[in-house]
Amino acid sequence: MRLVETGNHVAAWGARLARVEVVSAYPITPQTQVIEEISRFIDEGEMDCEYIPVESEHSAMAAMIASAAMGVRSFSATSAHGLAYMHELLHWAAGIRLPMVMVNVNRALGPGWNIWCDHQDTLAARDTGWIQIHCASHQEILDSIIQAYRISEDPKVNLPVMVCYDAIFLSHNYMQVEVPDQETVDRFLPPFRSLWSLDLEHPLTHGSVIYPDDYEEVRYSMFQGLENAREVIKTAAEEYREKVGGYHGDLVDAYRMEDADHALVAMGSVASEARVAVDMLRERGYAFGLVRVRSYRPFPAEELAAFLAPLRTAMVIDRSISFGMEGPLFSEVKAALYGRGGVSVYDIVTGLGGRDITYELIAENAVAAAEGGLEPRTTWPSVRINEHHLLSKRGVEGLRGKGGAS
Amino acid sequence: MVEIRFHSLGGQGAVTLINMLARAGDLVGRYVQAFPFFGAERRGAPVKCFLRMDEKPIDLRSQIYRPDFLVVMSPAVLEAAVEEGTKESTVLLVNMREDEARKKLAGLPFASFAVDGTSIAIDLGMEVEGMPVTNIAFLGAVSYVTELVPLEAVTEVIKESSPPARMEANMEAARRGFTSVVEINKPEAASRRSARGAAR
Repeated sequence: MRLVETGNHVAAWGARLARVEVVSAYPITPQTQVIEEISRFIDEGEMDCEYIPVESEHSAMAAMIASAAMGVRSFSATSAHGLAYMHELLHWAAGIRLPMVMVNVNRALGPGWNIWCDHQDTLAARDTGWIQIHCASHQEILDSIIQAYRISEDPKVNLPVMVCYDAIFLSHNYMQVEVPDQETVDRFLPPFRSLWSLDLEHPLTHGSVIYPDDYEEVRYSMFQGLENAREVIKTAAEEYREKVGGYHGDLVDAYRMEDADHALVAMGSVASEARVAVDMLRERGYAFGLVRVRSYRPFPAEELAAFLAPLRTAMVIDRSISFGMEGPLFSEVKAALYGRGGVSVYDIVTGLGGRDITYELIAENAVAAAEGGLEPRTTWPSVRINEHHLLSKRGVEGLRGKGGAS
Repeated sequence: MVEIRFHSLGGQGAVTLINMLARAGDLVGRYVQAFPFFGAERRGAPVKCFLRMDEKPIDLRSQIYRPDFLVVMSPAVLEAAVEEGTKESTVLLVNMREDEARKKLAGLPFASFAVDGTSIAIDLGMEVEGMPVTNIAFLGAVSYVTELVPLEAVTEVIKESSPPARMEANMEAARRGFTSVVEINKPEAASRRSARGAAR
């Protein structure tokens, strides 16, 4: 069945086809449509699922932890401040090794209050132990949510997965998606069989105090779980292609890299726009390719090094900023390349708070990078300080002069 | 690829319009993409939406700055719509009475069409809290001007999505929108061909 739907409604279909049994979520723009659609599915009897309405995202994740601990396949969705508010519980879910899947619609953090896209929210959740898959199309959102349960529930992994896609550019964009039959999905995704679950007959406790004697081993085991996820993500992508159809790469998704001298590195919807930039750059005689980071955690360090080390130039597109440092993806790409090859790595930070990133802007900066005309550090090509910004600054200085603020 | 940018006022139903056009495009086998500039969801506030159709999957995710067609659903946003970006071959479709359009659009350097979507909406009782909902009339008008989706595909989408009580009025609004478009500025033969030709 083919639908023309928003990315959010497509995500709801993903949860439905994965036969999710518990959904707990709190609405937040731009995620709200996901849980509205799931509520409708449940209300109209199309989805056999318990929807737990909660008063906050912190509680949403607490309820998810409880349902997953009962061995029930669980789903949530959030965005930006919602993800920040449940941050503590993200650690709890991963720390007690609970399989579950949550959608995060990548959105900027306030203040200033902003409901548009960037990756600051998601990347701030990087070190919680969650796997992060970043999508570039509607089909990938649907397919990744279904794959995410296979990855999350694999006994070698047993960790929660966050499926991330960009606010508005995907969440509120109507595009086509092929929705597979339930029976086809069932052949790929068997019912959830938890390694442990809460059971009144056989009481146990999980996630209680751990002394220094054992804590490191728990963390090492999580580290290994993420390492194991590398193979599991690849297998899930391959098996999905065979049994359901649809393939969007594994840890990375490469485009025109076969004979490339230069590469773009990006995540999310801008990596789709970047394909158009690559085609344009090729026409102008610059042999660019694109490596899209699909799995941000585990980070595809080996894959990136293999693609990028032999090249002349790599330009990273960061849709967030690590204050006091540089674009976070830039840092990690360079770390992956440490001691490997002589590729020059550049970085543009752009598209914050929903600012549009066009293929022209990407191509223009890529040419500058390939020609050595870009500074070898994070640059901000779309920042334009205008009279409006200066007025605000002067306003503050004026107040200071009058002793109104100090 | 054909790119269309829509400018309207909150309450006119532009987001529903682009959704329905995208579904009509899907029915005739095109790849589609339709998204709003998400922001001021308030009745009467300016709204901007984008629609792309192509014969192959669409990788672009950015907004549309040089549209093949610029659809202006309220004269109040005409100036802003043009300022937002056009190209030489951009074709304009504006919600205006013919006499007014002959005065206001004649001087613009674009091929242009006018349709009195507001009167169609008022005639058919399509008003919500005093705001004429012009989107269905524009569904017909956009079908006529762009030739991207035939009226039959538009009608099919209306059938799928209208509540029974509104079905007749919606069909009539689309039909009137389609048949009452008036050509204001004769397009240069070349630019008209490039814009409409690209649609095929």
